[in-house]
Amino acid sequence: MTTNPVPPRLSGGPLLSRRTLIARMSALAAAGVVGPGLLAACGSDDESAGGPSNALWHDNWPAYMDEETLDLFRKDSGLDFKYTEGFNDNNEYFAKVQADLAAKKSIGPDIITPTFWLAARLIDLGWVQEVPFDNIPNAANLVPQLRKPAWDPDGRFSLPYASGMTGIAYNIAETGRELTSTGDLFDPAFKGRVGMLLEMRDTVGLTMLLTGQDPTKATFEGATEAFSMIEDATSSGQIRQFTGNDYMDDLATGNYAACIGWSGDVLQLSLDNPDIRFVIPDEGGMQWSDVMVIPSGSTNAANTAKWMNYLYDPENAARITSYVGYNTPVEGVQAVMAAGDEAQQALAKSQLLFPDAATLDRLSVFANLDPEAEAAFDERFSEITGA
Amino acid sequence: MTSRGGEDRSKRSAGIVPYGLLSPGILWLLLFFLVPLVTLGRTSLSVKASRFDPNDIRLTWELSNYTNAIGDYSEQFLRSFAYAGIATVACILIGYPIAYVIAFRGGRYRNVLLGLVVIPFFTSFLIRTLAWVNVLSDKGPVVSAIEYLQFSGLLESLGIMSDGRLLSTHTAVVGGLTYNFLPFMILPIYVSLEKIDLGLADAAKDLYNNGWQAFRKVVLPLSLPGLFAGSLLTFIPASGDFVNAKFLGGPRNTMIGSVIQDRFLVQGDLPTAAALSFMLMIIMTIGTLIYARMLGTDDLI
Repeated sequence: MTTNPVPPRLSGGPLLSRRTLIARMSALAAAGVVGPGLLAACGSDDESAGGPSNALWHDNWPAYMDEETLDLFRKDSGLDFKYTEGFNDNNEYFAKVQADLAAKKSIGPDIITPTFWLAARLIDLGWVQEVPFDNIPNAANLVPQLRKPAWDPDGRFSLPYASGMTGIAYNIAETGRELTSTGDLFDPAFKGRVGMLLEMRDTVGLTMLLTGQDPTKATFEGATEAFSMIEDATSSGQIRQFTGNDYMDDLATGNYAACIGWSGDVLQLSLDNPDIRFVIPDEGGMQWSDVMVIPSGSTNAANTAKWMNYLYDPENAARITSYVGYNTPVEGVQAVMAAGDEAQQALAKSQLLFPDAATLDRLSVFANLDPEAEAAFDERFSEITGA
Repeated sequence: MTSRGGEDRSKRSAGIVPYGLLSPGILWLLLFFLVPLVTLGRTSLSVKASRFDPNDIRLTWELSNYTNAIGDYSEQFLRSFAYAGIATVACILIGYPIAYVIAFRGGRYRNVLLGLVVIPFFTSFLIRTLAWVNVLSDKGPVVSAIEYLQFSGLLESLGIMSDGRLLSTHTAVVGGLTYNFLPFMILPIYVSLEKIDLGLADAAKDLYNNGWQAFRKVVLPLSLPGLFAGSLLTFIPASGDFVNAKFLGGPRNTMIGSVIQDRFLVQGDLPTAAALSFMLMIIMTIGTLIYARMLGTDDLI
């Protein structure tokens, strides 16, 4: 796959995709601009603890859910269902909830949606409950490659919400040529116009693939060369900035010629600007998932099954997928969309939304790091990004 | 302090009323200044064995937290003070004339002019910073104008631009800091200028001072308290700021605020974050005292 198809923008997709708000919202929160309402979504333990048995609360990333599905589910289930977008950044979320989780107290939400590596950490620390799979018959629709994943080896504690691909996003009007490799990011012709992601596993994983290392078995020693490549490119000024989702603006306005990007974002951008393209590099790309877990303090675990079962119905998943633009972990969605309206049919053909088997084969999921290795990786990465 | 009505005063102070009136303030200081300060100091001297357990923190008088932090982050410290210092000087150069004009030449437009200074800052700090991202972007108006006027070579050699861009450079960070903290410089200077009796400057001129001398010997010294307050209100938050560095700077422009944030939120390394914060505080306090002594306005603090 070299370029992405350009389906017509009819699906009413979000203006800000899943991670668009990450960096900005975290800065807002840090600057004390965000009111207590938003932050309370992640910190208080008032409502669900000892609340009515028909309560349910899912805390998710921004622009990760369409309103219609929420309305339908509320009508369908009769649950007092609360849906919030309290996730702005994995590390920040963890910092906010860790004291309560460590004390085995309720953090409020009954379902949270960390990225796979944070889910692994929570599972490892024993801070989450088993997912009530007995009451989720639709979980049988989970695509085979995400069953018993590295972050949840028994597959008992988590259920994927959405996945995405990490590759090279570029603006062909600025690069003047198609890009095919992560090595292109180190091309001196693009000095000062290359962006990388603050999400350590994406940036380091992709560069490890370039250096011939396997990120699915990442060790700190194995990443040495990748780290020095990134470090050299940073101190030479080749890399302009490490960002969260801000890269979308930089790519669209032409500040960046190329950067590391996420498939769903680029899908959205390319609808407005066909010059913006996405490629899984020849050496391979990275794949990540955001997964649902039930924090240990939740008392509404029984109700979580209803919602998870609803999400794993291909019809519902198709509606959400057309809105979100990331890869669904639910089997059968592509068929539903192919039979849908014109916009959905176009999306059903998108290689970014439904990568074929050959593309999937070229994707790696970053290894499950033990705490010492993770600390070493994070430390080294912070050193390079300057913080 | 002696004053009229001293007799009444001594009578009143015997009651509990003064303490009652003071108690909210004292309680506030105790709860939100002293307790956090002690906690911060304690954390900065502790070890945290587990990255993920917030309670697993032991006080071991770990002074190496400080030495390691200095060793690892002196670059960001120095950079923060340099950026904040340049921004403060720029704020004085821009802000003083503005305050002067409003105070002495504003006439009946004084309030309107003050409003023009303040109103843009009703918008969120973050939105204003992000607006600069667009203004300074590579294809944005500023860079395009510079290229059209063919100034980029000159600015490049002066170190103001790099690789033909302004965004993600130290210039953008310092510019953002200057812009964001400008009102905190203008307003205190305005307040102290406004109180000056211009008759004093006239008197100086009568005594054969020219305009500049009258300003330097009369108006400027009388406005020093405002200048002092403005400099502190600019320099202190500017050195701890990380939003400008994050959005307007690149990976080589990070400030100490970013480091503290990263230590605290990403690495879960509370002791180092605390040590860095403590050092920042101590350096600020010492700096402020020296600055106050130099300007001769030490009765302010």
